Amino acid sequence: MNIHNLSKDAVLKSLLTSATGLAEAEAVKRLHEYGLNEIKEAGKSPLYKKFMAQFTHFFAVLLWFAAGLCFLSGYFQPGEGLLSLGIAIIGVIIINAIFTFIQEYRAEKAIEALKELLPFNVKVIREGQSQDIRAENVVPGDLILLSEGDKVPADARLIEANRLMVNNAPLTGESDARLRSHEAFNGDYFESPNIVFAGTLVVSGMGRAVTYATGMSTEFGKIAHLTGGVQERLGPLQKEIIRVTRIVAVIAMATGVFFFSLGFFIGRDFWQNFLFAIGIIIANVPEGLLPTVTLSLAMGSQRMAKKKALIKTLTSVETLGSVTVICTDKTGTLTQNRMEVERVWTLERQEQRQGVGRREEGVERKEGEGEIFRKNNSLNMLMTTACLCNNATVENGNYKGDPTDVAILRAARGAIGDLKAERIYEIPFDSERKRMTTVYEGSRGKGQGARIKGQGSRGGEGGVTLFTKGAVETVLPLCTRILEDNEERPISDDDRSSIMQTYHSMMDEGLRVIAFAFKETVTVRKDVIARSGSDEAIFIEEIASPSARNDKEELFSDKNNLESNLTFAGLMGFEDPPRPEVPDAIKKCQGAGIKIIMITGDASRTAAAIAKQIGLVKNTPVVIEGHELNAMPDSVLRERLLSPEIIFARMMPAHKMRIVSILEDEGERVAVTGDGVNDAPALKKANIGIAMGMTGTDVAREAADMVLLDDNFASIVNAIEEGRAIFENIRKFMTYIFAHLTPEVIPYIMFAIFKIPLPLTVMQILAIDLGTETIPALALGIEKPEANIMEYPPRPEKQGLIDRVVLFRGYIFLGLISTIGVLFVYFHVLFQGGWQWGMDLPSGNLLARQATTATFLGIVIMQIANVFACRSSRESVFRLGFFSNKLILLGIVSEIILTAFIVYHPWGNKVFDTAPVGLNVWLALVPFCLMLLFAEELRKWVLRRK
Amino acid sequence: MTYRKVLAAVNEFSNSEIAARYALALSKTCHAKLFLAFIAEENIHKDKLRHAEAALERLFIEAESNGIEVENIIESGEPVKNITALVREHNVDIVFAATRREDVMKRFFIKTLSRQLMMKLPCSVAMVRVVKMGGLHLKNILVPLRGRLTDLEERAYFTARLAEGFNSPVTLFHLHKPITGFFHGELYLTPFQREQRIPKDVEEFREHLNRYKIPHEKKTGHGRIARAITVEAAHKRNDLVVMGASERTLLSSLMKGNPVEEVLRETPCNLIIFRARKKGAL
Repeated sequence: MNIHNLSKDAVLKSLLTSATGLAEAEAVKRLHEYGLNEIKEAGKSPLYKKFMAQFTHFFAVLLWFAAGLCFLSGYFQPGEGLLSLGIAIIGVIIINAIFTFIQEYRAEKAIEALKELLPFNVKVIREGQSQDIRAENVVPGDLILLSEGDKVPADARLIEANRLMVNNAPLTGESDARLRSHEAFNGDYFESPNIVFAGTLVVSGMGRAVTYATGMSTEFGKIAHLTGGVQERLGPLQKEIIRVTRIVAVIAMATGVFFFSLGFFIGRDFWQNFLFAIGIIIANVPEGLLPTVTLSLAMGSQRMAKKKALIKTLTSVETLGSVTVICTDKTGTLTQNRMEVERVWTLERQEQRQGVGRREEGVERKEGEGEIFRKNNSLNMLMTTACLCNNATVENGNYKGDPTDVAILRAARGAIGDLKAERIYEIPFDSERKRMTTVYEGSRGKGQGARIKGQGSRGGEGGVTLFTKGAVETVLPLCTRILEDNEERPISDDDRSSIMQTYHSMMDEGLRVIAFAFKETVTVRKDVIARSGSDEAIFIEEIASPSARNDKEELFSDKNNLESNLTFAGLMGFEDPPRPEVPDAIKKCQGAGIKIIMITGDASRTAAAIAKQIGLVKNTPVVIEGHELNAMPDSVLRERLLSPEIIFARMMPAHKMRIVSILEDEGERVAVTGDGVNDAPALKKANIGIAMGMTGTDVAREAADMVLLDDNFASIVNAIEEGRAIFENIRKFMTYIFAHLTPEVIPYIMFAIFKIPLPLTVMQILAIDLGTETIPALALGIEKPEANIMEYPPRPEKQGLIDRVVLFRGYIFLGLISTIGVLFVYFHVLFQGGWQWGMDLPSGNLLARQATTATFLGIVIMQIANVFACRSSRESVFRLGFFSNKLILLGIVSEIILTAFIVYHPWGNKVFDTAPVGLNVWLALVPFCLMLLFAEELRKWVLRRK
Repeated sequence: MTYRKVLAAVNEFSNSEIAARYALALSKTCHAKLFLAFIAEENIHKDKLRHAEAALERLFIEAESNGIEVENIIESGEPVKNITALVREHNVDIVFAATRREDVMKRFFIKTLSRQLMMKLPCSVAMVRVVKMGGLHLKNILVPLRGRLTDLEERAYFTARLAEGFNSPVTLFHLHKPITGFFHGELYLTPFQREQRIPKDVEEFREHLNRYKIPHEKKTGHGRIARAITVEAAHKRNDLVVMGASERTLLSSLMKGNPVEEVLRETPCNLIIFRARKKGAL
């Protein structure tokens, strides 16, 4: 037997406790055995470890090795500048580590937010005495006392309940309070009314419960397990960066070793050879790549924030662009979460009228405006029921309350004006019964609407009228009569089928449907009502003097009896209008090959109709309801998920995690939306978890990668577009960065083979990679998305940042043209200074320094042309405009200023071993820049023609 | 094979009583005799003695009411030594004992009573970690399995009988070793690819379950072993995890970590670590 199946005595026995609670000593012992009742983060890696990991990955280890060799060489061969080179390499390691850490950093506060949902103190009974203890000291077997406003500290089995209502929203996502009872229950454990779960809130009433699970073994703890324990996969960009850095490292090492060996065989001095090898490795490594990627992502996240999408992890910016499936909620994301009564229906008047509620939004009914309702008395009774079986309020034209209640009240007031009546009894709405009932003193006169006390009715006579509203499937079976032409008559099978038909047709239009019914009863006194209430009753305070008891007492003692033999009044259909931007956003997604899966708590017909309305489905979709999903094996679900159009209806938040897991297993890159506490595991599991900023809980927001500030689906699509642009932009600046590697490497190779003076020092290479290049590369990172970016399917997982096209264009095409220009100015300076082939220039010689400076300057100037060439891989720069990206202009200016400092300022000369060169060197590079631009334009033209 | 004699070690702690209930369920399905043993250490406090005796009495009544042949044993002495002697004396097939939280908080396999029982008892051992007092009716048992299974037949028998006792289905959960490529880092396999990698031993384990007519499903996972197991258990709301005892040496545990210890620390539901009878023992 499980805990919820047991009787009260058996519960106490199985948990080794008693009705007087645990003894203090036993509680201490159990605390020792089971630990504190607290939510912990399972296996959390401390922040410093994550930071330290940036210094120990493959690429960093290689650089440490290189730095170590430099220090060693510096020790044995002082004066070659190897010591400063070693320091510079360590600088590169630190810069890369900081930027990668920033990129991957994310404040992990989801578990902290979960902890906030548990109480601080709790009332328990130990040794027969009630006492306040810290919630973390609650142990299994503790008897806890619950009353209104308390948060439940641990999973517990009720042994007493007095009108106890608990809001299970943190676990189930349902906002309605649920009535709890202490009786043994034979159904599903999770649905059991005798269980209260940790983290839930007591809305009203009181109870006693025995704790059976604490801390991380509670259901709430399981959410923490899943939220903290889900193993997040590396994002596509992170994977790509690993791949790129490893490829580059291998190329750099191989080239370095090759030329070191070559130098050895041609008899070059060991230290010269070694310096050269280090230089060629440094030249091959794009040191500025990681900082540029990080800054580019940071700027992308800022642009997304302007589009109402707040990014929490930088790498998520790019992950968004690769998304293949979006699992989205319906209410509030695809729709406006603003209920409006779209149709009302009575048997008497079967035509359906539109816009009932909208007409009177915020405006009191004027004389004569509700005429149709006066003529149609059945409709009048329906509206009276709608008005009085309602907990929304209106103050100064502002409605407050549950969105559905507000819509009903607005429609009813619009139809029949204000009704002020005295409610004497209420059975609140509860999601299991799916209905609510109110009782008012007074009764309905023949040929009239309701005559309720306080409404100029015959209320003083002591009759009562009962009003019920709820789901059709729960209200209709309670009805034995129906109202037609203001006359009540027995309900026939035809009436029932007519009602069901209307119900289905309304749902097919995407409407949520609520049924209304009423019952007039014979006289009953208020004191009788008060005495006879069950646990479920909520009474108004005013109680008349206790006197007569009569047989009507039974009326309220049994809620089933109370809600029986009702008279069916009619139906209302509600629409939650789609957000106006959604259909276009969906069209965009479909064009971009992104599949959208709707996951909603609504009924399947309503969900399917809305999906059709917004263009999400065009044919008959596969619809899976919550109970079907529960019974469905993974293999079947996997198959169903392949359907092009699929909707999940009547879902609980817990279902999302399963759907997301299977989609990811199938290689999809999944974005999922969520707002509840129980959505947190799915938000963590998905490639991109998207929390709702307006309606989301703190836990969901903390678990997500992205927060939608306006809860709007269209904002997700805008963010995806931005994400795709960022991937393209990263490829652009990688091409740009690769283009300068060739003119850095080739002169080195010539130095090794042809014994020419060293064309470029390692410090100058670092000045380019980490200095002059940064802002122009960054400027490429903010290029606007190309117009047709959402017309292509998501990039295949195998398509990386680096492919043959990028390598060929960067290294070979643009790189070689740059190299020609760079070598031209290098030799130009050498020959002008009187150098001849074979002549050795001593270290520190002015001409040698001028030559290396010319090479440095050549690379910088050629990169100015390159930055324009790299703005698009297809589009002409003349079409894009030279001034349309202001940051590029800023980057070029900064590049020139920094270069001028390095070339002409004594400090720059000292640090980078440069010497001033004449204007002729600058001017000599101009034709090569133009050559590069035109060659690139030619390539693009050929590509466009293809 | 069958278990004819089951021994449950009981002490003053409530978790030993919960652990003994698993022994009780197993005894019932195997029609085995159940020994409920309390070994009182020297100079034990009388409260502890009282608690332990009360637990023995409750369990005795429960066992008898379930039609199980049961015998209570109260001895004083050193627990490991006395239990070992009892096992030898009565030819006990399997011993159930509860781990203590403090054992789990320090390294499980260093100088704890649990470790000693695991290492020294000549019969099979089921070490139970109780994290939840309620919910002994099992909805689903999670059985993580690795590549090569030692004592496959007995493990399958133990799992099957336990599942039978609680009328509970079993989920066999196989985690493949991470596959990494130099240029690509960790590679993620599709469920189909993971299915292909399920080793023969797991299939054989399934055949045993089929033989005992235990409804079961197989699942595959990936990632860090311990984390994957705890997440699976939390996600599927499993009530019990049954794992094989760690076969890693202390050095290997220090170098590569020890998934069994990690699951012991982080399990969201009750956990049994099973070690089969030593060959040639008794």
